[in-house]
Amino acid sequence: MSSFAATIPILIVVLSAVVALLAEAIRRPGERMYLAGLGLIGLVGALIASCVLWDTDAVSFGVVRADNFSLFINIVLCLIGILTMVFANDVVEREGLPAGEYYALTLFGISGMMLMAAATDLLVIFLALEVLSLSVYVLTGLRRSSAAGAEAAFKYFLLGSFSSAFFLYGIAFAFTIAGSTRLDVVGTAIASAPNTTLALLAVGLLAIGFCFKVSAVPFHMWTPDAYEGAPTIVTAFMSTAVKAAAFGAFVRVFLSALEPMQGQWMPVLGVIAGATMILGAVVGVLQNNVKRMLAYSSIGHAGYLLLGIVAANSAGKGAVLFYLLAYAVANMGALGIVALLGTAAHAHDQLRDFAGLWKSRPGLAGLMTVFLLSLGGFPPTAGFIAKWYIFSAAVQEGHYWLAIIGVLSSVVSVFFYLRIVVMMYMTEEPAAPARPAISGPAMVALAFAVIATFYLGMLPNRVLEYAMQSIQTIF
Amino acid sequence: MLLSTIVFLPLVGALLVMLAGGRGDRPEREGTVRAVALAVSLAAFAATLFLWWRFNPLEPDFQFVENRVWLPQFGISYHLGVDGISLFLIVLTGFLTPLALLTSWQSVHKSVKLFSFFLLALESAMLGVFVSIDLFLFYIFWDAVLIPMYFLIGIWGYERRIYAAVKFILYTMVGSILMLIAIIGLSYAHAAASGTPSFNLLDFYGTTLSWPMEKWFFLAFTLAFVIKVPLFPFHTWLPDAHVEAPTAGSVILAGVMLKMGTYGLLRFAFPLFPNAAHLYAPYIAGLAVIGIIYGALVAMVQPDLKKLVAYSSVSHLGFVVLGLCALNVNGVQGAVYQMLNHGVSTGGLFIIVGMLSDRRHTRLISEFGGLKAVMPRLVACFLLVTLSSIALPGTNGFIGEFLILLGSYLAFPRLTVFAATGVILSAVYMLWMFQRVNYGEVTNEKNRNLPDLTVREWALMIPTIALAILMGVAPGFFLKPMEPSVIRLLDRINGVHSAALTPDLKSGPAGGGGR
Repeated sequence: MSSFAATIPILIVVLSAVVALLAEAIRRPGERMYLAGLGLIGLVGALIASCVLWDTDAVSFGVVRADNFSLFINIVLCLIGILTMVFANDVVEREGLPAGEYYALTLFGISGMMLMAAATDLLVIFLALEVLSLSVYVLTGLRRSSAAGAEAAFKYFLLGSFSSAFFLYGIAFAFTIAGSTRLDVVGTAIASAPNTTLALLAVGLLAIGFCFKVSAVPFHMWTPDAYEGAPTIVTAFMSTAVKAAAFGAFVRVFLSALEPMQGQWMPVLGVIAGATMILGAVVGVLQNNVKRMLAYSSIGHAGYLLLGIVAANSAGKGAVLFYLLAYAVANMGALGIVALLGTAAHAHDQLRDFAGLWKSRPGLAGLMTVFLLSLGGFPPTAGFIAKWYIFSAAVQEGHYWLAIIGVLSSVVSVFFYLRIVVMMYMTEEPAAPARPAISGPAMVALAFAVIATFYLGMLPNRVLEYAMQSIQTIF
Repeated sequence: MLLSTIVFLPLVGALLVMLAGGRGDRPEREGTVRAVALAVSLAAFAATLFLWWRFNPLEPDFQFVENRVWLPQFGISYHLGVDGISLFLIVLTGFLTPLALLTSWQSVHKSVKLFSFFLLALESAMLGVFVSIDLFLFYIFWDAVLIPMYFLIGIWGYERRIYAAVKFILYTMVGSILMLIAIIGLSYAHAAASGTPSFNLLDFYGTTLSWPMEKWFFLAFTLAFVIKVPLFPFHTWLPDAHVEAPTAGSVILAGVMLKMGTYGLLRFAFPLFPNAAHLYAPYIAGLAVIGIIYGALVAMVQPDLKKLVAYSSVSHLGFVVLGLCALNVNGVQGAVYQMLNHGVSTGGLFIIVGMLSDRRHTRLISEFGGLKAVMPRLVACFLLVTLSSIALPGTNGFIGEFLILLGSYLAFPRLTVFAATGVILSAVYMLWMFQRVNYGEVTNEKNRNLPDLTVREWALMIPTIALAILMGVAPGFFLKPMEPSVIRLLDRINGVHSAALTPDLKSGPAGGGGR
């Protein structure tokens, strides 16, 4: 039993995914099943299991390790998943998405993400990456009637396959050096012979694979199209959860196994981080589609997260975890609202669709404002503490220039977050189709996200402590 | 607990206002909302007066200190305190907020609930700026101020309000966000030197920095503050923000928010980096003098009343910065005094412009003329506020400008000559404007039947004018409590610096009540 312990949260999610698939199989046509509730049970179970496993540092089969680091990511993923389930319950049928597939794929995706953050073997990371990628590819194209959706899924799939290939090549080179794909063995091998051509190739190819998944410049090209074309509820999910999992593995691989080569990869990642922050902010300004705008915003946030990896000190690693949580809550909230306001006929994702939202839905406009301010990094929200923590780590290591690029690009990004605010508060309502009502549970979930945003912004102490504890276990 | 109460009372009031307003936009609850908001702001003002009453005027250090650990791993604490410099800025904030609420009584009808909410939230954030001793906390309040102001301009402003609101928030953020980097850097420099992380201002005062660090940090802090002031050439956001903001927003913007910049220079930039301060003070003073003259000249040719007052702020704040850069007791005390004066006089001017604009829905000087015959009481009040803004002896402005020029003459005699022309120019543009608006024949028929001051407007004018005169005839009342803190701060700035600039540093004729 004990050898299974580390995989329990993952297994619970897989189980709920399988049940969701079976339920879809036995569903009579037209019958409505509360698959979201099922997913919720699974995710809450995984959440509890992750909390129980805290501090146990269980290892299963030598390749899956439930250390505090992966458990922290698990908890973030469960929170994202729970919010997704609640929102999806409103959205999925209204938008005509196939419910069984949607819930099953989302849950399979989450299980892959959990595995990715917990894996301590490059091949297992690859397997997890494929599980999550395939789920997300299909989710992107889930709306079969939509040409944009199909295009997005196809683009994402093609580019994603390439990046997977790069990643696999990287693993192959690492295997050549170390004779194993275990991270600890790879780490020792690289430490004893750093800077060989093979090692450089391995590091470079792995970095490309990760940069693609976290959508860092110049591997970000798929992001705007995929985020815009996917159903909004899927966009919300993949912009937060995929990022959390990918950064989890990124941190684990680069800051433990590949740390001996820090001198080689750090300047490169520094440049990538700077370029990512700038591009995300500057191109975001030009967007008129809210989903596309938030796609560029998520590219920008990937840049800030990369800055945490570049800083590579204990503050930086803790900052990445905290940032993932803060970003996940705010972005889920913002894109969740976009998803909840959309219908099959009217996606409600253009900037002008938000005009006058404050008049007709003052509460919703207020919530949206808080999420956007958090994404923009205003105090007293989570986004501010998260950004501060990242920049603080960067300054501590003397990366003043990257920190300055970071803060200036965050001012630029404030401009486009405020464009939505301007629309909501300062522009008259257009004669658009009435916005759909939002159910009680979805409001509760949004309220929870807002409370979390303020809690992390004002009393971040406890979560910061957990984040610091978590990163201690991967060394 | 007193300071926390003062800071958070308006915020609690803001939430009360939201409750009183009920769900959605309900015009019938407007009266209740206004009453609750006004009551809260008056209670906050009473609390600030209570603070003044309990304040020990002989004590140079922070009083009413509250210190609680907040984020121990970074040495961040919830650390509040008040000294002679911040005391009156707090009282000023408490004084102006009820006035701002009152001015909007007639002119704001669009969602009064949200308007009052943002105004009260803004008051909390501004008070927080003035009482924070921890730099992290200070930065949070500093940034938090932007959001309510952004909404006040953007929702309740005039035609180009969105442009002005966005320009305001982005422009001021660019400066302040570089300060954030400097704050973090300062904290690590302190941690490297002393071994314990801290964001406490008092700890930082003792930290010695390498020269490049000191220089860059000073420039980052100063950039944030001079944009807020705004010092020439960083003033371009101000006319837009002022002209487009609703009257209440202009009153708060000119009355309190600009002072956050000068307060920051005095409290943070100069004492934290004394060597850099001494090196750069003459240059900043030079920009200040350019601002004094430039602001006055541009004000002179403005066709729009509000724009005229906005540019006059650039000129007046130039005096404040000049006084601070003198780095001696007279200059700094005059500067702090002038911050208060400007809050009262310019706040008053904006209120009057608001009254005219409520009556005529225009602010163009050419639309008015001969108002004296139509509204004698309003014009009388207008005259008193104008004179106080010009710094006529016997009004508050005179004391401030006189002390500033006295102090700056010791430090920069030549610059002071130029600065003094600003005194004359301010008389020119203000009196010329006053003449065109109020004297002569009534040229525009629309002005023939304008109503004179209402009871509500008397309630706005009487406190403003009374305070302007009180500050003019009994300056010791205000200068005495600030003197020990000013001297202490100057010791910090000048003590590190090898050569003290002025001979009268400690024994100067620092404006007692005898004047």
